[in-house]
Amino acid sequence: MRTRATLGGIFASVAVLIVGWQAGAPLLTPAVTTSQPQLSGATAPQTTTTSPSPSTTQAPVASGPADGTFTGSSVSTRFGNVQVAVTISGGSITDVTPLQLTDADGKSVQISNRAAPVLHDEVLASQSAQVSNVGGATYTSNAYLASLQSALDQAGI
Amino acid sequence: MRHVLCTMGTVASIELPEAYASELDDVDAVFRDVDERFSLYRPESELSRIANGTVALGLASAELRSSYERSIEWRIQTGGLFTPNRPDGVLDLNGIVKAEAIESAGALLDRAGCPAWTINVGGDILVRSNHAPWVTGIADPADPDALLCSVEVGGARRAIATSGCAQRGDHIWRGGELGPTHFAQVSVIAGDIVTADVLATAIVAGGPAAIDQITDRWPVDVLAVDRAGAMVATPGFRRSLAA
Repeated sequence: MRTRATLGGIFASVAVLIVGWQAGAPLLTPAVTTSQPQLSGATAPQTTTTSPSPSTTQAPVASGPADGTFTGSSVSTRFGNVQVAVTISGGSITDVTPLQLTDADGKSVQISNRAAPVLHDEVLASQSAQVSNVGGATYTSNAYLASLQSALDQAGI
Repeated sequence: MRHVLCTMGTVASIELPEAYASELDDVDAVFRDVDERFSLYRPESELSRIANGTVALGLASAELRSSYERSIEWRIQTGGLFTPNRPDGVLDLNGIVKAEAIESAGALLDRAGCPAWTINVGGDILVRSNHAPWVTGIADPADPDALLCSVEVGGARRAIATSGCAQRGDHIWRGGELGPTHFAQVSVIAGDIVTADVLATAIVAGGPAAIDQITDRWPVDVLAVDRAGAMVATPGFRRSLAA
């Protein structure tokens, strides 16, 4: 039951994240964090059933939740279906992985759209593609003459 | 076919099928109208007359007031990172009117039934794709004559805008004044060109703190290059990189 309450708390946190993601959190405010497990006061969504994987031995009541990765079942929310996996280590949630989030049209969408460091090679590998336009920080009409776009326009590509 | 015209201090480049060449007069008129209304370089433009106090903003044309309202809405939405006022207080709608002009010209081509086209004004691009996406290059901020990368733009993500200091110096205002920005160049792919343009500007102005909040809140793909040349990209942007 404790594990179930923990996961309920996690689902509640994820639901908060999704609400924030949908409604748009105000700019310049701290992001919602899911780094701490919520062990009390959390109510599991009515449709939640959990299927721990890998299965863990029942922890004694007095200790915290068992370590391991737990996969929740798909939960229906007003924003779509959500399924997450959480990793618990030393009594804290160390990772929450979205496995599934679908929008109203049944299309898979991503919870996190954040920018992360990207390797130069990965970006530069796309340079050789044949382009129809060149985007860039605004160039003046003078700078245009020396731009790649000008070359494309003259070539009539 | 390719059509090129000078407008708003830069150059517009339009690609469309030969069969729709007759629409180009109307497209040119869209840009000419915006140029005459909003240029601060033309003393007789409506915006210049508002800037020097000859005309009160409340008595401005519906078009100008609409652009102003849209700018103010974006200022609120971005927590002030995007603003229509220069540090000296002068109203400058350049941050939004170029994108609005691209939007209007694109809507005109759509109404004409043109199935596939691209409009590039000063490096900000809106496309309509009927089957394959358009492959669009992004200039390298360290060397504008070279490409940094190429991305596919089309479908629902049909606009890409790039802001930075590569071409015009530090022209983005930070906290009411000019100053060096963390990112040298930011490209945003979005569903519409105004959103792409405003958010690219806002991320340059707001730096790393703004980028997470903006990608959390709007469905956009972002590539940002810092002054040392290091890059961050959203998962969607990485998927959009051309093969």
